[in-house]
Amino acid sequence: MNSLLGQGSILIGLACAMAGLLVGLQAGRTRSAVGLKQTRGLAYGFAWSMVVANAVMINALLQRDFTVRYVDQVGSHDVPNYIAFVSLWSALEGSILFWGAILGLYVLAFLVATRNRHEDMQGYTLATILAVGAFFAFLIAGPADPFGAVTPIAGKPHVGPNPLLQNHVLMIIHPPMLYLGYVGMTIPFAMGVAALLRGRLGAGWMRPLRRWMLLPWGFLTAGIVLGGWWAYEVLGWGGYWAWDPVENASFLPWLSATGFLHAAQLQERRGVLKGWTMVLLMSTFALTILGTFMTRSGVFNSVHSFTQSPIGPIFLVFLGVVLVVSVVLIGLRVHLLEPEGEFHSVVSRDAMFVVNNLLFVAFTMTVLIGTVFPLLAEAIRGVKISVGEPYFNLLSVPIGVAIVFLMGVGPALPWGRATPAEARRALAMPSAVGVGLTLVAAGFGARNFWVLATFWTSGFAAAVSFRDMAAPVQAIHRRRGGSLGSSMAEAYRRGRRRYGGQIVHLGVALMAVSIAVSWTYQTSTEIVLDKGESAVVGDYTLTFEGREQWQEPHRQVVAANVKVVRPGAGEAILQPRMNRYTGQMSPIGTPAVKTRIGEDLYLSAMQIDDAGEFVGLRVFINPMIYWVWVAAGVMVFGCLIAMWPPKERHTAVASAAGDPAVEAA
Amino acid sequence: MSAAGPGLSKQQLLVIGGGLLLVLPMLVVLGMGFGFDPHKIDSPLVGLPAPVFELPALSDQQPVKLASLQGKPAVINFWATWCASCPMEHPGLVQASRYYGEQVQFVGIAYEDKRPALKAWLNRNGGDVYPTLVDVGGKTAIAYGVYGVPETYILDEAGTVTYKHVGPIPPQVLKAELDRLL
Repeated sequence: MNSLLGQGSILIGLACAMAGLLVGLQAGRTRSAVGLKQTRGLAYGFAWSMVVANAVMINALLQRDFTVRYVDQVGSHDVPNYIAFVSLWSALEGSILFWGAILGLYVLAFLVATRNRHEDMQGYTLATILAVGAFFAFLIAGPADPFGAVTPIAGKPHVGPNPLLQNHVLMIIHPPMLYLGYVGMTIPFAMGVAALLRGRLGAGWMRPLRRWMLLPWGFLTAGIVLGGWWAYEVLGWGGYWAWDPVENASFLPWLSATGFLHAAQLQERRGVLKGWTMVLLMSTFALTILGTFMTRSGVFNSVHSFTQSPIGPIFLVFLGVVLVVSVVLIGLRVHLLEPEGEFHSVVSRDAMFVVNNLLFVAFTMTVLIGTVFPLLAEAIRGVKISVGEPYFNLLSVPIGVAIVFLMGVGPALPWGRATPAEARRALAMPSAVGVGLTLVAAGFGARNFWVLATFWTSGFAAAVSFRDMAAPVQAIHRRRGGSLGSSMAEAYRRGRRRYGGQIVHLGVALMAVSIAVSWTYQTSTEIVLDKGESAVVGDYTLTFEGREQWQEPHRQVVAANVKVVRPGAGEAILQPRMNRYTGQMSPIGTPAVKTRIGEDLYLSAMQIDDAGEFVGLRVFINPMIYWVWVAAGVMVFGCLIAMWPPKERHTAVASAAGDPAVEAA
Repeated sequence: MSAAGPGLSKQQLLVIGGGLLLVLPMLVVLGMGFGFDPHKIDSPLVGLPAPVFELPALSDQQPVKLASLQGKPAVINFWATWCASCPMEHPGLVQASRYYGEQVQFVGIAYEDKRPALKAWLNRNGGDVYPTLVDVGGKTAIAYGVYGVPETYILDEAGTVTYKHVGPIPPQVLKAELDRLL
């Protein structure tokens, strides 16, 4: 029954998407109101079918309906219901089905948000979204069909999803966040395609486009960092980022999307870089498809990837279509992409935005080349190589530091042109703050050049952000008097985008410092402790107090009780564990982490003796790692503020008045 | 896209041509990736003497040594009852062991498993036409560098590992490798 229902709704979705694609193109071309209405109807049909199909699958997973192929593959009576639910995205077929659901939700949101608005652009936009939707519905209907009916084999063991996915609560939120980021890029891409097809790239369309990009950008930011956090809490190697192909796959569209968000502002304000903005927009979507290809084709070797599957070639063809259509469209519309404005000076915010964009593209290329290079090497020379941390760090550290530096310089300079004296005045205070912060870091013992450089640029950029947020408040307060609070509220109301952007920048500055410190000053030691024995690592005294074992529904847990004492801070018991899952040959470790403001103590069990006589531990001390997660939270918060739809009348009036306070960063 | 008209301007051709020149090689590189399996890493054991073992047989609990299997080519298949693809692989092995008869010694090594489960599994999946040994504690699997079951090692008559296969071994691969040794 579930099989039939699921397959039925996917086929309805596929039919709606294909029909909507054709009707939408026609409606876009003729601007027919009736055609648009039909397209919207078909888009609703597609969206709801995807949502319903996912509901059917979730139901089947919860019922442990082993007549459904996907449930037969990942379902199990041994796992609790929330794991059964999460299994939806734990293997290839389910993850593509889930992709469909997210696209469906985005389509619904888009339809609601554009009701009675932007009608001239909607036909082409919906047609493009539905083209992508048709592709995924086709995958779910055929090559990656999760709903196929199977005859249950008596006695066949059902072991449940990959144990690594059962190991931590973060795994429940990390993939949806990432998917919301990935899939959401479809909407701005489609809006861009529509603008090119229509031949209109006005600010009236670019503004909502930018907001539709901010939404998945925020999700992607959260998704990437949650993924790192999950790796840190679960994998037990003490770090959160390894430049693994699949991590890179999520980072690539983030980089190009960030480049786009900045280029789009330059286009909006100065009428330049239009073609460039479009290239970044198209690349971002293509990179999300590339990332999906990477995880699902079996071509890349990664800890995260799903197993080899026949859908790889199909994805590659889709990626090819996306790239070729993008290139041809941009080529055909190249005359529309001529700049309307021009650059006046290299000492200006405009110029800094251009350099910033070049850096983001350089960063994207660095990561892309490093990720794809092993394929190239194997194809040409027949050797297996892996591109490791040294390559990525060598290039990404200087680029990252330069980006943080520009994040300060850009907003500090005015649009258009600045005189040398103005520039000096604008940069003096933030530079001093940067120097101050660097001295503080040096005082704590930092000597590494790049760490100090990161402190300087981050302090500099953060100072600019704070000043940029305070300046409008001061201006309003001086002009109108009243309470400081009301001035702040007024400044915020008028310059929401600016505040959002600057809060994101503060998050980035914090992130840069936290990454530099946690990456550079991590220490690790391996120790073996007999029962009752103690060892001193850093400020901590660790004592092995014995082994403990218990059974949970889906796993057997063996834990080492390690007493941790820090002078002046009391004591605690940490329990690094080994979890043994049904049908899994080797146990999977779960590290124990004790987080303090300044540093994490991270214990990873290498071996826990069966008799509890000894334990082998890897002990990491990870300074400032906690702040990486906090920084991501700040970035997402800023993104939310920037994205929140303005009350339109307010913005219109304020802009018309030309108040400098509304000049967003 | 009617604005472009019949002929494309030089600028349009330049952008489209340049763009495709950038994009197509990348697609080719990605496409070439399908020919390779990133997980395939040649076993360092190939060309070296197979690690020795002495394991109890499933049928009678009597210890069986590697040495007792030598003198003819051998197929060592690591498997488990909880492994998803083993039921698919097993009939091929049974058939091959019947086909080669006395020419080749087949042996299964059960990994991380329990005796009753093993017996029930064999009854269900084609019987035990060749000996199954029980790898208590998984030491033999570790010595052979087993990464996941099923994995199959082929030994020549001197006991040197000539081939390692990860995952269910296709009958034609098994036949080709054994025919090479006979």
